[in-house]
Amino acid sequence: MFTRPFRFERVDRLADACELLRQHGEGAKVIAGGQSLLPLVNLGLVQPGVVIDISRASDGRDITEADGYLTAGALVTHARLATDPLAGRAQPLLGAATRLIGNARVRGRGTLGGSLAHSDPAAELPLVMVALGAGYELSNGRETRGVKAEDFHLTFLTTALESDELVMSVRLPTLGPGWGWSFQEFSRRDGDFALAAAAVLIRTAGGVVVEGRVAVGGVSDRPVRLADVETVLSGATASQIAGRVGPIQGIRPVSDTAASAEYRAHLCGVLVRRALAEASQRSAEAA
Amino acid sequence: MNITITLTVNGRRISRSAGGHFTLLRWLRELADVTDPKYGCGEGICGACAVLVDDVPVSSCLVLAAQVDGSSITTAAGLAEPDGSLGPLQRAFHEHHAAQCGFCTPGMLIAAAAMTADGRPRSRAEIRAGLHGNLCRCTGYGPIVDAVEAAQKTAHHAGTPVSSAAAADHGTAAGAADHGTAAGAADHGTAAGAASRGAGR
Repeated sequence: MFTRPFRFERVDRLADACELLRQHGEGAKVIAGGQSLLPLVNLGLVQPGVVIDISRASDGRDITEADGYLTAGALVTHARLATDPLAGRAQPLLGAATRLIGNARVRGRGTLGGSLAHSDPAAELPLVMVALGAGYELSNGRETRGVKAEDFHLTFLTTALESDELVMSVRLPTLGPGWGWSFQEFSRRDGDFALAAAAVLIRTAGGVVVEGRVAVGGVSDRPVRLADVETVLSGATASQIAGRVGPIQGIRPVSDTAASAEYRAHLCGVLVRRALAEASQRSAEAA
Repeated sequence: MNITITLTVNGRRISRSAGGHFTLLRWLRELADVTDPKYGCGEGICGACAVLVDDVPVSSCLVLAAQVDGSSITTAAGLAEPDGSLGPLQRAFHEHHAAQCGFCTPGMLIAAAAMTADGRPRSRAEIRAGLHGNLCRCTGYGPIVDAVEAAQKTAHHAGTPVSSAAAADHGTAAGAADHGTAAGAADHGTAAGAASRGAGR
């Protein structure tokens, strides 16, 4: 409540924020929905000198589908992602994960670009993007570049964004024919941060898994794709899947007041198996 | 550097000059003397500061006042009838003893108003889900769920919206089947209501 004063600037276009970031340097922070930044400011953990408001920018709000990809602008809110008919049809995994974010107030203001740029290792959207193999368009207002989700989320609250760059939009593959999906997470109470979460996409044909994509969140410093699990899935029937998944490798869960590292690792395995079962079921129904 | 921010709060237009770092909550409480939204956690978890910004529920502690300059704000007090008497949700909270210490009540009312704004009657499970972003440490939530349920029944019975935020969409609900009977509404402080009171969330 006793926030150190800062200066407020508003921009009408996303790219204008990049110029202000260059002008103001390190003390400048970008705000959109503010659902990640303002808790940190209220707790005194972040003390910006300038806050650049992009929440009323005229761009960055489109959701479009073309050539097997769904593209969503950085300012699309979680509430919209959760209910948008086009997004829901094109890639249902996205809406399922988004509906688990925080509470109605967080979803009403929080934005896609904001969640990705904040890069909380337990957040739903970065996990979904890594599972889907999504790509982000970043811009500094002069040049744009594409970065894969897996290369963007580096570690706790740290991304590949340069100091004058913003996430402009996200491009992710739509759900292809025969694919099933599942998003599973466990938190101690509704809307709380996930202790562990799993996002799975599976394609089956003739009752066996042809290919799958598996990623987990909340159990490392960033979302992790589980290549080992994806490999052992291949050729499994629905009843064989769970037996092929051993203890999850390649994760580094931490112990904190919410859960021990061992418990998080255990949860991770449980959620992966649950997600695989649900996704393979959906794939069988889709075939 | 101060900024002049103009908001329409519960129908009243208010302009106040504030620092860019002022949250909407601080602007309302310290500059506009609108004190029904409360400061609880400062992290968007407790919901005590909830208000409607252009009919969307927000944590007013997690929005800068300057970000919403020009918007319409509805606080719990704004759910009253135009003549100042209690609105359906406020009355139901009173009748069902849904406030004990009262600190969460303004946010609970806003969550309830947002949830019922489309006029579609909510089940008890839906009401609980709709309130999940609002913490109460006194009631055990049962009386609050009772109040929201009763308010939507009374409102539909009388053919009026539960909250003014519902006005836009109410046409459909008013035409729907009659949901509350006097007997149904009177049921809640008895066995069913009492049982749910112990259930927590």
